Formats: sequence, structure tokens, C-alpha cells
Amino acid sequence: MENMFIKQTKYTPLILFDADNHTLEIRGESYPEDTSIFYTPVFRWLETYLAEFSGKQTITLNMEMIYYNSNSSRSLMNILDMLQDASMDGKKIVINWYYHKDNEMALENGEEFREDLESLTFNLVRTGG
Amino acid sequence: MVVSEPAEHELSVSEPAENELSVSARYLSLPKMSKIENKRRENHMLYELYDFKKDLNNRGVFFCFSGPVSQDLLVEIGTILRKKMEFEETHNAIVLRVFSMVVEMAQNIIHYSAERCPREGYKDELSVGIIAVGYDNGHYFVLCGNRVFNNNVENIRNKLIHLQKMDKEQLKKHYKEQRKKGPSKGSMGAGLGFIDMAKKAAKPIEFDFKPVDEKFSFFSTKIVI
Repeated sequence: MENMFIKQTKYTPLILFDADNHTLEIRGESYPEDTSIFYTPVFRWLETYLAEFSGKQTITLNMEMIYYNSNSSRSLMNILDMLQDASMDGKKIVINWYYHKDNEMALENGEEFREDLESLTFNLVRTGG
Repeated sequence: MVVSEPAEHELSVSEPAENELSVSARYLSLPKMSKIENKRRENHMLYELYDFKKDLNNRGVFFCFSGPVSQDLLVEIGTILRKKMEFEETHNAIVLRVFSMVVEMAQNIIHYSAERCPREGYKDELSVGIIAVGYDNGHYFVLCGNRVFNNNVENIRNKLIHLQKMDKEQLKKHYKEQRKKGPSKGSMGAGLGFIDMAKKAAKPIEFDFKPVDEKFSFFSTKIVI
């Protein structure tokens, strides 16, 4: 399956989904006017990828979100829910949520997601020394 | 009494800068001194601009935008506000919190303002509202205002009163519950964005509805960070 790459912009995040190495990256900021325009193709790719995945390797999602608006929060929740479903289906999934030591909001956001996704391996990873 | 018409160069020196149309109209009609004086008095906003800005500053407002709001404008406003707060050595946590309020408020205007420009239903219409950011008594605050339809007022009011009564923990729980649901059909606002703002605010959201006419009210909100 083809990788998905969407370049980062001021208000949409970098999407780098590597179907060969099973690493998914979402990094940057997210506050587009219409989240469904941006995220629908992302959901579609993920759906297909997870449906076709039959290996034993671990799928890793690395997220580093500096800021995102409330509508994006829904979209990210949707992505994480898809991965949680996959995990309950027997796939090995790891989420690494990166936050900078000076970004309290990013840490809180990560904690909020983690609390809602109890059956996922969800690591909060501090950066910035 | 002799009334002398000002020479062209005198005109340009003594008159405040005006748009091309009024300048050429003046040349065409060869105005007398009294007409120019009247024009000066009619430009009230010009002479009141200083007081208007002073009033904003006295209320702690350091940024104010009134007019059509777009996503591109929001991005630039956000960038400039973040820069300004960083210059003031504001703690990063506060910078992001203020920024998040501005984004949610501006996008509420974009999505829900009942005032559109040039007019409702026009392709590529812009939403109209007013946003102000200020600092007072140790806290940043964000103000936002836009027209809403009268028949949405009760719905929005009830949702906001509901939010005002919640503490941080309840807001967090409410936010998570609402986040799992999709946006409500025909959502008229006071949805996830407001819960998010209430959750991040230093005190409960304040709001006000001012009746404008039989169709519209003006909806204002204030968030303190």
C-alpha cells in the first residue's frame, strides 16, 4: 500500500504514514477551518491500512502536537479510536505522545487521551532536555 | 469678506489624507473654505480615533479586530499575538491558552455568525464579528462578539449556563463525553469549542445577548485566562 505524506502547514499537521515500516507520524499544529476536509483522507488511508495489515509487527504512532483546536481533537480521537479497535483485534499498537517540557497544554492533552484509551499502550514522552 | 480658494499645494498640506474620490470631487467642485471646514467636522471618527484607542487601552485591550473574519486572518492574528506575548515573556502555557481561545472564538465567528458579508448565501461569503484581546489585573482576557439569530438564543444560553455551573473536573468529563460524539446535526455552536474554552479558563465564561431587531441579537462572550 502507498505511503501517505501530507506536508505540514501553519494550521495542519505533518502526516507521514509509512506502510512498509509500520510507523505513523502526526506532528505540528491543527486548526483548519474544516477538519473533515483535511482528516477524511487520513481516516480512509488508516482504515485501509489496518484492514490489510496481517503481520505480527508493532504499529507505532508517533504524535507531537503543539496545538490543536476542539474540532481537531475530535479527529485525533477518531484516529486513536481506530487504533484502539485494531489493538482489541489483536494487533500490536504503540502510541508515543511527544510533548515539549515547556508545553503544559500538550502534556495535559496527552494525559486526556491516555485516560480515554485504557487498552492502548500510550507513552507520554517528554522532549526538550 | 474675501474668500480665497486655497492653492493646490495648500489644500494637500492642510487637509487630512482622504480617499481619491473625495479629493478629486473637491478639485472638481472648487470648494470654498467653509465647505472644507464642514468636511473636517463631518469626519468625526478621525478626531475621535485617539479617544477610541485610549478607551480600548484603558480597558486593557491591546488588540481589537472588527470586521469580516477568515481563516487566513485568524492565522495572522494568532501569529502576531503569540509573538507579542513572547516579547512580554509570557509563560508559554499562558501564550498557548490565550491563542487557543482566540482560535476557538474566531472560528465560532467564521462558522456561526449570523452576519455575513457581502450577504448571506453569497459564494465565498465572509463572517463578521469582533474580537478583542487584553490584559487586566494579572490576567489575559479574550472578548468575542457576533450576531446570532434570535431563535438560537435560548439554545446557546442554556448550554452556556450549564457550562458556567461546572467545575474543572466536570468540564473535563463533559469535554471527553462530547468529543466522543460527533458534532450535533445543525449544531448552532456552544459545542465542543465552548467546553474547551471553559475548561482552560481561569473562571466561568461570561456572556451576554443584546437584542438587535426582530431577527437578530448580538452575542458577546468573555473568557479570562
